[in-house]
Amino acid sequence: MGTTASQLSKESLSEYQELTFLTKQEILLAHKRFTELLEKHEKQQIDARAPMGRITTLPELKSNPFKERICQVFSTSEQKDGSLTFEDFLDLLSAFSDSATLEIKSHYAFRIFDFDDDGTLDCADLEKLVNCLTGETNDAKLSSTEMKQLISNILEESDIDKDGTVNLSEFQHVISRSPDFVSSFKIVL
Amino acid sequence: ALSTRDRIQAIRDLPMSFKEKKHIRWVSHKQIKMIRKSFSQTLKLWQGAMKSIGGKFGTSVLTYFVFLKWLLMFNIFSFLVNFGFVTIPLLVYKGLEILTGAGYFKYTVMYYGSYSNESLVGYNMQLAYFFTIAVYMVLCGISLIFSMAVNFKDNYVLADSASNSAWQLLCTWDFSVTNEKAVKQRRNNLCVQLKESLSEMAQQDLVIYQQCRVFIFSLHTVFIIIHYLYLFYVLQQATENDNWSLLEEAKTLLVPFVVSLINLVIPLFYSLFNKFEHYSTHRKQIYALLIRNVFLKMSILSVLCYYWMSKVPAKGSGWESMVGQSLYRLVLFDFLFLMLGSFFGEFLSNVIGTKLIPRMGVPEFDVARNVLELIYSQTLAWYEPYERYIRHFISSSSVSVSLTHNCQPPRRSGRAAQMQTIFIFLLFFPFFVGALSIVAYTAWSLTPSKSCGPFRGLNNSFSAVDVWIGDLKNITGSQWVVEIYNNVIRSEIFYFLITLIILVIIYILWQVTNGRKELIRRLRQQIVNEGKDKSFLLERLQDLQKSIPNKNTKQKKQKGVCCENYFMLTSLCM
Repeated sequence: MGTTASQLSKESLSEYQELTFLTKQEILLAHKRFTELLEKHEKQQIDARAPMGRITTLPELKSNPFKERICQVFSTSEQKDGSLTFEDFLDLLSAFSDSATLEIKSHYAFRIFDFDDDGTLDCADLEKLVNCLTGETNDAKLSSTEMKQLISNILEESDIDKDGTVNLSEFQHVISRSPDFVSSFKIVL
Repeated sequence: ALSTRDRIQAIRDLPMSFKEKKHIRWVSHKQIKMIRKSFSQTLKLWQGAMKSIGGKFGTSVLTYFVFLKWLLMFNIFSFLVNFGFVTIPLLVYKGLEILTGAGYFKYTVMYYGSYSNESLVGYNMQLAYFFTIAVYMVLCGISLIFSMAVNFKDNYVLADSASNSAWQLLCTWDFSVTNEKAVKQRRNNLCVQLKESLSEMAQQDLVIYQQCRVFIFSLHTVFIIIHYLYLFYVLQQATENDNWSLLEEAKTLLVPFVVSLINLVIPLFYSLFNKFEHYSTHRKQIYALLIRNVFLKMSILSVLCYYWMSKVPAKGSGWESMVGQSLYRLVLFDFLFLMLGSFFGEFLSNVIGTKLIPRMGVPEFDVARNVLELIYSQTLAWYEPYERYIRHFISSSSVSVSLTHNCQPPRRSGRAAQMQTIFIFLLFFPFFVGALSIVAYTAWSLTPSKSCGPFRGLNNSFSAVDVWIGDLKNITGSQWVVEIYNNVIRSEIFYFLITLIILVIIYILWQVTNGRKELIRRLRQQIVNEGKDKSFLLERLQDLQKSIPNKNTKQKKQKGVCCENYFMLTSLCM
């Protein structure tokens, strides 16, 4: 089953409601916004894919420093090009919605921060993360000594088994002690 | 087999792609009809506005508006309770006759002074009023305690010591911020904060600031003494006559005017001092500001209450109406000053900041100060419950308008969730308890005036209940109520026992918490040790593998499983 031309069928709607954390209004709004992203000829296709370039023009994602990573994490395309079908898009919104659980959010946050997709956050990932969040201008960048110090602080705090990387369980443990995470890991259309 | 709800939740919790989830659902095939509770979504007030504010300013400023919404719900509930139990019976009985008469406001149904003390047909007005207020206060107290407990558990106990660490700052990047400039600013702020957390902040400037601090502290005390004296003086001057000459009316307006002025000016001084003082963390800065403002407002309220409770009943009849009128004037002025403050104050600040003195910049939205305003007005509402509901609405929309036009987001990102806890705690502890004690004092000790109010003719308001119990003794079926009243509510032993039990429970829970903390520490140590064992064993395996190439791959996987078990154990102990 997929999306038909311009309207969702009732069965699809109830199916989406069961499989995601979104409400009916949110799904309908997501459908409307997604079809706006498609070209005219794509709108009639079932399972049309919107390329990453167009998804990142959405106002909710445009200024997000992680927009490319988000598209790549939620994309199911074989070419790994970050393109999303409507169902991928719903997955994205569901993970970032108000009612998603902490486990889901921390799982996806981990995957987003894992820049090289190897299942752990090592020093290179952490360095990319810090640079992503602090900006690329020269005066905003941290010097290399500061970066080393920062990464060793991070590892000291969150690496429980002292193997030099942060794996998913350690990440989720750290996140569970941060009460602000659930409210800040949110994107609402 | 799981229930359908659990099944759906289990499927949703799987971090898999859509196709995989669909497949799972199809495999465990059952036709279900789900009635989705989407009505809670439709009831969310101001959804669009809150989203745009969150998008530009972030979640910490959003806490102010969330708090406002919470208070509004609170007040709507209390309004419904009061209206339903007190006003409607009165309206039904008396009709619209009450709305006429000289001094229009004095005699409206919403106004305490005009309540009759007669028993309406089968409906005892005194009792109704007393019990409504009592039940409302108790419910307020319970809901405040409950939300305080929940918030405290979520935000303080679990958050622990890792609060300002770099990792926390990175992980709590606010994804809901959508404005380009806001994102850029946040990135800069984050960079600065990270650098600060790396270098231990300076000890050198401490000496100078300590000297400044002493000076500023003495200024504070001087301020407070000055405003106490002035307030007393003003109160003495304002005499309550029934003489309606223009001068007398103007004099009565002097008190609320002075109070509101003090409320407006002195916090600005506090904010100014705050900028010059140096604090090790942003949180301490906010707390210092909050504590000073709380003291200011508490002192104002206590002076006013003292004046009303002790001086006014001696003056004459109908003191409840006079207190009500003073409160009404106070509220009105407070509201006016708030509107003026947010429109003109911040607007002027903006203009001055951008055009005349560009160095000053745009004013920051001072979350702490605005929340305290809100709490203050809520406290006034507890004194006289009717005057506040529309006000909240208007003030919230005015504040949000001024916010979007005039302010920029706070320079350092506050810890949103913990601030929420602090606000609720502040609401409860000084203000609610203060209001409760004033109301209790009024009910127990003050003699109601002889000419107005529903408690006319009684010795104190609480005697209404005494009278009712006395009546009940004669009715045979309700002996148990009298029994409960005499042995439970009026006996001191009951309260003593309850306090004792609560203290014991608190002690037990505290000991359990300490024990668990120790357990966590030991388990962490165990994980580190296991990690060392694991790497040792892996080295041995690698050495062995060099000699025997194709065995022992199974053992490696088993070691991995062991490690995961230890993580599960620690998470169980949280």
